Amino acid sequence: MSVRRDEGGTIVLAGSCPVEDAERLLQMLQATPTPKLDWTQCHHLHTAVLQVILAARPALVGACGDPWVRQWVGAPA
Amino acid sequence: MNALHEQFITEARELIEQATGDLLALEREGSAPERIDRVFRAFHTLKGSAGVVELPAMGMALHAAEDLLAAIHARRLAIAPAIIDQALACLDQVSRWVDEFESHAALPPSAGEEARAVAERLRGFLPGQATGPQAKAGQRHKTADRTMPHWVSLLIDSQRARIAREAQERATALCAIRYEPTADCFFNGDDPLQSMRQVPDLLAFRIEAREPWPAVDALDPYACNLRLLAISAAHHGEIAKIFRLVPDQVRILDLALEDLGSSPVVRKDEGHATELVRSVIEEQRRVLRASEHPEDFAGRFGAAARVAANALRHGLRPELAERIESAVSAGLSRQESAPLLAALDETLARLEGGVSRADVMPDASSTPRDAEPRIAERPGARSLRVDEARIDALVNLAGELVVAKNTLAHLANKVERELGSHDLGRAVRREHQAIERLAGEMHAAILRLRMVPIGRVFRSFPRLVRDTARELDKEAVLAIHGETTEADKTIVDQLFEPLLHLVRNALDHGVETPEQRRAAGKLDIATITLQAARTGDRFHVEVLDDGRGIDPAAVRRKARDRRLLADDELAALSDEHLIDLIFSAGFSTAAGVSDLSGRGVGMDVVRTTVERMGGRVSLTSRLGSGTTVRLDLPMNIAVSRIMVAEAGGELFGISMDAVTETVRLAADRIVQVKNNEGFVLRDRVVPICSLAELMKLPRPARAEGDARLLVVAETSGNIAALEIDAIRDRLEVVLKPMQGLLAGARGYLGTTLLGDGQVLLVLDLKELLA
Repeated sequence: MSVRRDEGGTIVLAGSCPVEDAERLLQMLQATPTPKLDWTQCHHLHTAVLQVILAARPALVGACGDPWVRQWVGAPA
Repeated sequence: MNALHEQFITEARELIEQATGDLLALEREGSAPERIDRVFRAFHTLKGSAGVVELPAMGMALHAAEDLLAAIHARRLAIAPAIIDQALACLDQVSRWVDEFESHAALPPSAGEEARAVAERLRGFLPGQATGPQAKAGQRHKTADRTMPHWVSLLIDSQRARIAREAQERATALCAIRYEPTADCFFNGDDPLQSMRQVPDLLAFRIEAREPWPAVDALDPYACNLRLLAISAAHHGEIAKIFRLVPDQVRILDLALEDLGSSPVVRKDEGHATELVRSVIEEQRRVLRASEHPEDFAGRFGAAARVAANALRHGLRPELAERIESAVSAGLSRQESAPLLAALDETLARLEGGVSRADVMPDASSTPRDAEPRIAERPGARSLRVDEARIDALVNLAGELVVAKNTLAHLANKVERELGSHDLGRAVRREHQAIERLAGEMHAAILRLRMVPIGRVFRSFPRLVRDTARELDKEAVLAIHGETTEADKTIVDQLFEPLLHLVRNALDHGVETPEQRRAAGKLDIATITLQAARTGDRFHVEVLDDGRGIDPAAVRRKARDRRLLADDELAALSDEHLIDLIFSAGFSTAAGVSDLSGRGVGMDVVRTTVERMGGRVSLTSRLGSGTTVRLDLPMNIAVSRIMVAEAGGELFGISMDAVTETVRLAADRIVQVKNNEGFVLRDRVVPICSLAELMKLPRPARAEGDARLLVVAETSGNIAALEIDAIRDRLEVVLKPMQGLLAGARGYLGTTLLGDGQVLLVLDLKELLA
């Protein structure tokens, strides 16, 4: 499972995040008042997952583990 | 044939139709930028789809047409009838290929040659273009001579240093990519980011929301709302290959190196745009000055103002557009064009003066409008294509339900009669009403599934009128009204042929030559009007022309020559009824037989077809000023309204379509004509037939002087009354055609089941009274 919540309540994306993760991620973000997202361990993001991050704008922990996204998307405003 | 191919075929046909319509509008109404845009988009989408199903020949032909349209859009080329002809010919070719593709899943071997021929003819119009090698240009968009869109300059700015360095080092051209995935792209298995990752030599990238993001709670994670923008130093063809499956969603622009120098990037075609806007505004000034007829003032005035304001917006001069619009209200309230004229003059002066762009563009980001035709975003109509047979199955089931629920009323009566229980009877009746309402609503909803707009039949006519008029050396335009009127698909589909006959007839016989029209004091250009409207559960389609009208004397002469009626009958006919003879088999008013119509088959075919659908045709004509043919049709044919009539102790159904009225007649109004009875209804003698007699049933005993019940029916111009004993009910029923042994029985439309299970024979009045 590439989307989970750690003990501190931060949502963590890990490994390769396929299209199905978009819905799960969105549900977690919706269930959290001021969500934090750790995307350092994710090494590949699907567009749909990135879209959820862009739309929901959680507080991001660290830089994205997906090198392409880190270089070209960085930390979305 | 797989689903993709099927979809391609359906879509291609729609696009061809749409493009044909827009091309004709272009020719008729002039080359407004939006209109060219629309035609361009249709061709572009068509080309994209051809790419998806891998039909390179089709793509090649369409690409040439697209280049031509782009040149027209950029005002490098003026629109001319010859260009429209070639573009239409291209569509004809594509349409033939689509047919071929549908039947053989491939294009004929000759397609490549044909495509090259089409492309060369189209490219022949391009200024300064030798024919030939250009046809190989592939998927490239010519943009070097066009505007650099705002998004490109923003993107360049974001990575200016890097791009400048790259440009200097490699001295290669750059490409800008704009990828707007469709909302459902995730369901197609697309990962737009993944495509972008594959773009080599990426220099800048930006991902943004196409529409503002909704609240997190309302977000649909699988509806893509992204726009991906990028600049790459890779070769155009290389990039095109990555996006080959989504060519309709991606635009690749070649950037010239000199574009990268300054910021913000200046629109290079500014001169062009201003010139275009100026010519549009001058035209409006002419229109306004042309006449001062008060009756059409508001329309002319409003149109001129709208056109001018749109042109200014298009030319990125919104502040001038506002100036025009404020002059509109002043002008309208005073009913004069002076304020608008003054505003137009002022606008022209400011355009000539070349007010600097810095003055007129308050904020660069507020005008992100591309001058290049926008790539198609498919209109967002949410629709579902369903096999017609499935809907028909539903219609049948719902029809059966409507009939089956009738048994409940019968059951209620039976309960009351046999058990004497009024409470139970009432309860059953209450349930009956609830089920009746639900069944009725369901039936109506299912029938609505079959409703399609008449517009889909009308759509092919503009082209037809244009071509036919040309063939006949006449000038005619087609006006269409009420194209959104809906009716059952079966009816709409069957209307094409009768309308075709009527429109051709109107052009061939009705419309005069331009010289004749001028001599008669009419406009050179004739107007054919197709209009549809709905009243209650009937729907009307009319074909009007403003031609010479029908000469009753000529009809009389012709009818005598053809011996359609005996001389005394002919003499007795009023002009109004005489004209109706045109619908008789074997009648033709044309002096000679032309290729188009006048073979004497047209009009009677029209009548037969329309009557088979349960409709009626009528015709009115004024000599010298035109003819109107009116088709009066049911909206749907799945359910018929019938009256249940009793005669000779038996029940019969009579379709209401044929009934004009029912009358109760005092015995003294009935007159004997030889062996037959008849009566006078609004100055017409109506013969009476007894239904019981026709059916060889005993006539009930009747006191002399009792009032008689008559159903008056008018079919094909014949009027007659059918005598019945009583009207028992009025029902909506689903007619079953006569089957088995009875299939050949004449005089019946079909059968239906009554509530008590009895079979009711429904009479075909047309046949009975003929």
